[in-house]
Amino acid sequence: MGGGMLFRTIAISLAALTLALPILGGPLAGSGIGISPYLANIIGQIATFALLAIALDLIWGFAGVLSLGHGLFFAMGGYLIAMHMLKEGYVNAGVVPDLMTFMGWTELPGHWAFFESFPYTAALILILPGMLAFAYGWMSFRSRVSGVYFAIITQALTYVAMLLMFRNDTGFGGNNGMTGFVSLLGLQMGAPQTAVLLATASTGAALAAFLLCGQLVRSPFGRMLVAVRDDEARLRFLGYDTVWPKLAAWTLSGVIAAIAGALYVPQVGIINPRLLSPEVSIEIAVWVALGGRGTLSGAVIGAVVISALKFWLTGFAPDLWPFILSILVIVVVVGLPNGLSDLRLPGLRRMRDGR
Amino acid sequence: MLLIRLLTFLACLGASPAFAERAALSAALCAPSVAAKAEALRALAEAGALGGAAEAAWAQTLVVAVEARSFRCATGGAFIGEGDAALDAATLAPSPAPIDAAEMPINNRIRAAAASAAAALTLFTDVDPAARVEATTTLERRREALSLSILDAALAVETDASVLALLKPLRARMMLVDLAPENRIRAIEAIAADATLRNRTMISEALATEPDATVQAAGAAAMERIDRLIVIGKGLSTLYSGLSYASVLLLAALGLAIIFGLMGVINLAQGEFIMIGAYAAWFVQNAVRAVMPGLIDWYLIIALPMSFLAAALVGVVMEALVLRRLYDRPLMTLLATWAVSLLLINLVRVTIGTQNLEFHQPFYVVGGIHVVGDFIVTLNRLFAIAIAGLAFVGVVLVLRYTTFGLNMRAVAQNRAMAGAAGIDARRTDRMAIALGSGLAGLAGVALAPLYNVNPNMGTGFIVDSFMVVVLGGVGSLLGAVIASFGIGQINVIIEPLYGAVAAKVVVLLLVIAFIQRRPEGLFAPKGRR
Repeated sequence: MGGGMLFRTIAISLAALTLALPILGGPLAGSGIGISPYLANIIGQIATFALLAIALDLIWGFAGVLSLGHGLFFAMGGYLIAMHMLKEGYVNAGVVPDLMTFMGWTELPGHWAFFESFPYTAALILILPGMLAFAYGWMSFRSRVSGVYFAIITQALTYVAMLLMFRNDTGFGGNNGMTGFVSLLGLQMGAPQTAVLLATASTGAALAAFLLCGQLVRSPFGRMLVAVRDDEARLRFLGYDTVWPKLAAWTLSGVIAAIAGALYVPQVGIINPRLLSPEVSIEIAVWVALGGRGTLSGAVIGAVVISALKFWLTGFAPDLWPFILSILVIVVVVGLPNGLSDLRLPGLRRMRDGR
Repeated sequence: MLLIRLLTFLACLGASPAFAERAALSAALCAPSVAAKAEALRALAEAGALGGAAEAAWAQTLVVAVEARSFRCATGGAFIGEGDAALDAATLAPSPAPIDAAEMPINNRIRAAAASAAAALTLFTDVDPAARVEATTTLERRREALSLSILDAALAVETDASVLALLKPLRARMMLVDLAPENRIRAIEAIAADATLRNRTMISEALATEPDATVQAAGAAAMERIDRLIVIGKGLSTLYSGLSYASVLLLAALGLAIIFGLMGVINLAQGEFIMIGAYAAWFVQNAVRAVMPGLIDWYLIIALPMSFLAAALVGVVMEALVLRRLYDRPLMTLLATWAVSLLLINLVRVTIGTQNLEFHQPFYVVGGIHVVGDFIVTLNRLFAIAIAGLAFVGVVLVLRYTTFGLNMRAVAQNRAMAGAAGIDARRTDRMAIALGSGLAGLAGVALAPLYNVNPNMGTGFIVDSFMVVVLGGVGSLLGAVIASFGIGQINVIIEPLYGAVAAKVVVLLLVIAFIQRRPEGLFAPKGRR
């Protein structure tokens, strides 16, 4: 599992994309094989979705713990990086953030302190979601909350976070969210080169997470996770502590999701509480379910196929998308228990079996 | 010929005892001083109010004439209109005005008195309650021609509740400025009998200018009593709105708990089944309006079984097409039912539209019963509570006393053993899904009179009703009841203090803290998993 030909194909494609993007989107941008900044931006966004799907597959596909709240970690990463960009623009370029204007504030609230520093923000992007995931996971796994209970409560957490973020007085921009970013690490927002570089970073991060998680699930730790998924009670009976493997995977998953969010928000140029709505989080699970759980490859394929389809369809038939998505989910969930990898496509099957 | 008719007419009128009085009243309007004229208008209003319908109509005619400046005074009496077309003011019979008839002079004071008298008389002459309500509000400002006896007469004949609701406080306010202190005390007592914030303000305003010490003391005592009752009323109305929220939650959560307890399936489309129920009620309303308009007030009752069936039907179809194949993969049912909810929302959005539906409000869901303080038992909430109560009793009866209920309990306890005992577990599942979905449909009817009905209405309920299921323990009816009441109360208690978001946060944190101790809910069966 995981080490098959499909896994290698995806790893190689991601690596090739990461290497080729700066060239095709840079010097060759205007040529026949070049990539426009617009296309690079879409590729970058889809790469962050793939990263997010990898995060969810790690915990759902391998440890059997479904989260319907990964949008929470994703949004956390996004909000933190957005705060950095706004604060940095305010301090260095004197651009007053919109949220200060409509709240009538003369200065940013206390929790915005130090956000002009990128290292500080980057550390928070790793630490805060990690701490939240750890705290919630520790409380839940320790008292053996699992299955649909766990899933529903993650969704409730995300929902409550959305309600909190919709408030204007919390100092996170309320329902307007945050937008009007100036620059990130010296890169000018909106410049073609920035889009290409961010997209490259996203595919690079997806590749890194893909390889890291691939190694992880093949290690003894990964076997342990699968054992937890398949029969936790027996494992406990045999004397293993099942809380810590689950907790480690869950926390790592939350951190990866936050990194995905931090890469996503500079590319779309806005964040608002809609990212925390239950639908977004469920859609992440849909990517993984459609691609096939417990393979990592499936998660990437699911995220790429569904979000590419969504980009393409919402362009000309936005009303059609919910119908296609819901029917696709029903058909796949009912007919293809392992997602699209159940399709008897000869080539795909050979790749999956590593023959 | 004309003379004979006039004579017989006058003779008839002369026989009436009211005639002399009418003549005196109308002649008084021609008094020289402004004060006397205003007093005459007041007397006219009182005579009309106390003299019965015919008298009131006559007085009204005179007042209208005064206001329209067509009232004439002459040596021979008072007249309405000019020259040969004039009417005698006392008899309203045609009677050419004498040559010296002059228009009754009018100034602002008289105009105010006339407006007041007209409004007072409208209370007795107008059949339209809306006009009487308007007249009462005019009287609040213009009390020139108003007296306690007029108000008492009006209160005696008035039958419309909305007019009465305005007349009673008006009378109390009249009494508050009465010259006799004991009358003012009586007025304060009368006002304090109805302990509302508005009446408290009324008393405190009166006390600000009150010279008499005994009245002051009585007023302070009355205000204290009102304060106490207002606090009680506030507490009761918080409890009440929590109760009504809880009853809707209960309807949604009962269905969820039944389905989850039996099959381990969490139905994320439960909120959309509520929406289906509300839309079914809307269709029933339109059908009733088209076919039997006379029964339109009863459409909500007719909708109860229809909405139950509509939601149950959607649930059964969902079970047959989707859930049946997923019983061994509970996590996948989350995604599948979410997809169903997305599909339902968008189907409704495309076919019917996204706007809020208009519902006819029958009399049994409009208004409320005033209990104490500012606490009003609003009927639309009572309707929801009643539906939830009946549905709960129904579910308990079904589970306890029917074969289906017995089968359901058996399958929930041990599916394999139940199957071995000859129970068709799959069929039981289907019926449980129908029951659970139908209950959500009932919630839709309960919500129709008090909530916005649109394709997205169900999404707000899903998180709360899951909290009920999680807190209440799987498949436990009593647990669901207690959990929904707890969550409903927490929501309404915290909401006014810290806002709706804080309420949701607290509920969620409580649930998370709670499942630390009891991961299987409040009322989990004993034993270790």
